[in-house]
Amino acid sequence: MTDAILSLRGISKHFGGVKALTDVSLELERGKVVALVGDNGAGKSTLVKVMSGVHRPDSGKYIFEEREIQVSDPAAIADMGVQTVYQDLALCNNLDAVQNLFLGREMTGPWWTGFRLNRAEAERKARDVLKRLRLDSISLRRNVGAMSGGQRQNIAIARSILWEPKVVLLDEPTAALSHSAAEQVGALVRELASHGLAVLVISHDIHHFVLENTDRIEVLRLGRNAASFNSKEVTGEQVVNAMVGGNEAVNMAG
Amino acid sequence: MTVSDIKKQNITATAQPKRGLSERLGSELRFVPVAVGLLALFLFFSTQSDVFLTSRNLNNLLVQSTVTGIIALGLVFVLLVGEIDLSVAATSGVASVLMAQLVVEAGIPIPLAVAAGVLCGMVIGAISGRWITLIGVPSFVVTLGVGLLLNGVQLMLLPRTGRYNLLNTGVEKIAATNISGIWAWILVIGAIAVFALLRLSTLRARQRAELDASFTWGVILPVALVGVVLVGILLFLENLHGLPMPLIIFVGLLGVMTYVASETRFGLSLYAIGNNAEAARRAGIKVDRIKITAFAIAGGMAAFGGILAASRLLGVSVSSGGGIGGGALLLESIAAAVIGGVSLFGGRGMVVGALFGALIIATVSNGLNLMGVANEARLVVTGLLLVLAVSIDRGIERLAERS
Repeated sequence: MTDAILSLRGISKHFGGVKALTDVSLELERGKVVALVGDNGAGKSTLVKVMSGVHRPDSGKYIFEEREIQVSDPAAIADMGVQTVYQDLALCNNLDAVQNLFLGREMTGPWWTGFRLNRAEAERKARDVLKRLRLDSISLRRNVGAMSGGQRQNIAIARSILWEPKVVLLDEPTAALSHSAAEQVGALVRELASHGLAVLVISHDIHHFVLENTDRIEVLRLGRNAASFNSKEVTGEQVVNAMVGGNEAVNMAG
Repeated sequence: MTVSDIKKQNITATAQPKRGLSERLGSELRFVPVAVGLLALFLFFSTQSDVFLTSRNLNNLLVQSTVTGIIALGLVFVLLVGEIDLSVAATSGVASVLMAQLVVEAGIPIPLAVAAGVLCGMVIGAISGRWITLIGVPSFVVTLGVGLLLNGVQLMLLPRTGRYNLLNTGVEKIAATNISGIWAWILVIGAIAVFALLRLSTLRARQRAELDASFTWGVILPVALVGVVLVGILLFLENLHGLPMPLIIFVGLLGVMTYVASETRFGLSLYAIGNNAEAARRAGIKVDRIKITAFAIAGGMAAFGGILAASRLLGVSVSSGGGIGGGALLLESIAAAVIGGVSLFGGRGMVVGALFGALIIATVSNGLNLMGVANEARLVVTGLLLVLAVSIDRGIERLAERS
């Protein structure tokens, strides 16, 4: 029916007596950026962890490319084509951009070379990938620790792209960034969508980041779907009201 | 649709930003400050003593630095993953006593006894590493305990006399052998050729990948530097006895271990784990296995260093391996690695640092000796040098972070 790659239908999840998610539904489509917003404790992170396979939902359906998936473990979900970039980025500051991009799956020579690193090939591939993502301003041979927050975030995102996923989940990519660094990340997020990926972004930066860089805004409140907006037809106030649960959410059409 | 399908966009490539000197000093040129320091020490001592720059003295200095250097070499691997091994000196003691016992008591051929000693060191390191990764006890506690335990084992292994004499067993020949004449030249030229081939293959690979590649900077300069140093040492020692075997072994191990640390996937994993073990784990690196291997390498190197010391000193005794607690041998081995620019916090440093660190410690000791300075002053100077070296290193690191 739609371009949906990943659909969640009626997902519920509780931890002990606490209901983290109740009957939540969400669709991610090819080439679209969806923002997931909500107040603290609204269930955003839990929902992302369900999608990335960290949490198994108590009930509801996880549908990927029109097949229902039994959420088993994060590695299986990642192999399937759903990559997650967590807030801590998991970069090694003492290694350069190329080394970080290929960490854990380096191209090497045969065993008798002691699995010698094929640095040149890695650098060429890294250069091509960064170029395609319009990230050529990133220095390949520079230690990641010496880079700006925006560049680090973008390297972490670019690394997830190397696995050729279909869906990318970004957990607060702009949380610790300046406005200009957040713009760099926003440009990359739009670039990913233009390449046909489905992107989900958690962000608190409604007025700038979310309104400017996403196609749709899904609002969670107290673990439930609270509202869904077209990013082009909504104001920041309307989104915030939906987040905190004001009656104004009803007025979104007006 | 994935990245691979995306048709290539024609974007004018922006030039890669140049990396500043301070940044380079923090990574691939990390050995330069300590090398300059070593050179300064050489100049200073050559003005203070006529004996210092003689072949005989430099021969002694180089051989003196090998045992500490080899132990420090293994230690670098453990330091890179952010751990420490305080049992390396004790390991060297036990391994050398075991080797001596096998030779003297059981009459086992020397190569086998040496192999058994080294294997024993690797097993000790691997067990420490397994314990540390399995239980999660800090490595300095585990290896401190293991060190004391090994001191006890060493005393148990030794006979009532407290000493195995290795004179005329053949073991003494390991350290006493010198390679001279045509064989020395073959060795040196062979080493330079291997290094040149490695640099060339790197250059070729970069050219094939259409990356910037400079023949002058990538091949000629590094090969010339290594060539001048190796040929220089050979010319200097040739008129004495030739190249001492401990030095050849040390340089050989240095070459192999530099390759392992800087060219292989295992080496890269060490650096990744040392900086961010959680990131390495999530990237699929088997963190525990790499750490255990690093401890095994440190143990094996320590054992080898101990065996070399036993060969030089013509025997093993209670004081092999630095005596109880590791003594000066342990402290100097750690100091050598740290002076050489290896961070105690993991993820930073080069294998060649062990060479420079060991040489600096040996040079200070040797030079001050020649100047007639008392032993207590030597300790003071070495201690100050350690603090100074680490401070300079930290300063460079800060500069690199700021740029």
